[in-house]
Amino acid sequence: MIVPNAPQLETERLILRGPDAGDAEAMIAFLLDRERADGFGGYDHRGDAWRWFALNVGHWHLRGYGYFTIEMKDTGKPAGISGIWNPEGWPEPEIGWVVFEGYEGRGIAREAAERVRRYAYEDLGLKTLTSNIVPGNTRSIALAERMGASYERTYQNHHMGEDLLYRHPGPDEVLG
Amino acid sequence: MSVDVPVIETDRLILRGPRLEDLDQLCGFYAEERSKFVGGPLDRGEVWRLLLRSAGHWQLRGYGVWHVTLRDSGALIGHAGILHHIEWPEPELGYGIFAAHEGKGLAHEAAEAARDAAARLFGLTRLISLVDPLNDRSRALALRLGAHHEGEEEIFGQTLHVYRHPEQRGAA
Repeated sequence: MIVPNAPQLETERLILRGPDAGDAEAMIAFLLDRERADGFGGYDHRGDAWRWFALNVGHWHLRGYGYFTIEMKDTGKPAGISGIWNPEGWPEPEIGWVVFEGYEGRGIAREAAERVRRYAYEDLGLKTLTSNIVPGNTRSIALAERMGASYERTYQNHHMGEDLLYRHPGPDEVLG
Repeated sequence: MSVDVPVIETDRLILRGPRLEDLDQLCGFYAEERSKFVGGPLDRGEVWRLLLRSAGHWQLRGYGVWHVTLRDSGALIGHAGILHHIEWPEPELGYGIFAAHEGKGLAHEAAEAARDAAARLFGLTRLISLVDPLNDRSRALALRLGAHHEGEEEIFGQTLHVYRHPEQRGAA
């Protein structure tokens, strides 16, 4: 059995754990929903979405960190993903989040992302964090700002095109 | 982690899990036109994604593709193993050896070892290989491995030939 070296994190309503095969369909459904997924990187074909999920799992194996699956404590169902993402060609590690259909508007992304940010500073020892957000993704921009992040610059992302880089408060401020 | 992938040894080769440090050599392979038969050519960002997928495949399926290295130098020379992407008809024995290492029977050695390990370790005893009709080398190797042409499959809007390998002995 090959499992990711992901710790299990907890918040009031959520469990954050490593991705596993049981999460594939929820993730694929999200990625194929272009309207919802375009700010993240959506797909038109099931096979491509599955490959993204496999690479998401592989990120844990090769980087030692990645996207957690956000699981609802009350139902055990996956509600989204949040984690630290650092592909080849990225300017630096970023914190990202996605909430699946039916789980929006309940503060789940923020609850998960704030826990992930603490993990990145406390457990991974990162000294700074960014979020890369495509222009027009107002929900994500609003959340980044609510988390205390601020716009730093615009750059060309290898996969996403024009991308806004938001800088989060550092470890001293967050862990304070 | 990649250390959990079983290591397979042959006379000249060591088959091991994908590693981050393989990226540069993989980029060389996927920069070449001949990689078109295995999804290429790919740029560095795409090769990175392929490398991560290979690692993730091992966790999701419990089996996957080994990176093939030379026993004497440790150099990466290609891949061989079992692919089962979601739209695949069934698990497939796939293989690919870098151009500089062709003609020495290394692809055969790697593919045979992967096929044997798939049967012993994962109970996959009657694998197929999907061969692009234009990929003469791959077809020749499938035939040398004792596989026979069984039919066609439509994948990514492309017709691929299905070669069925002879049944292998599984775990006792």
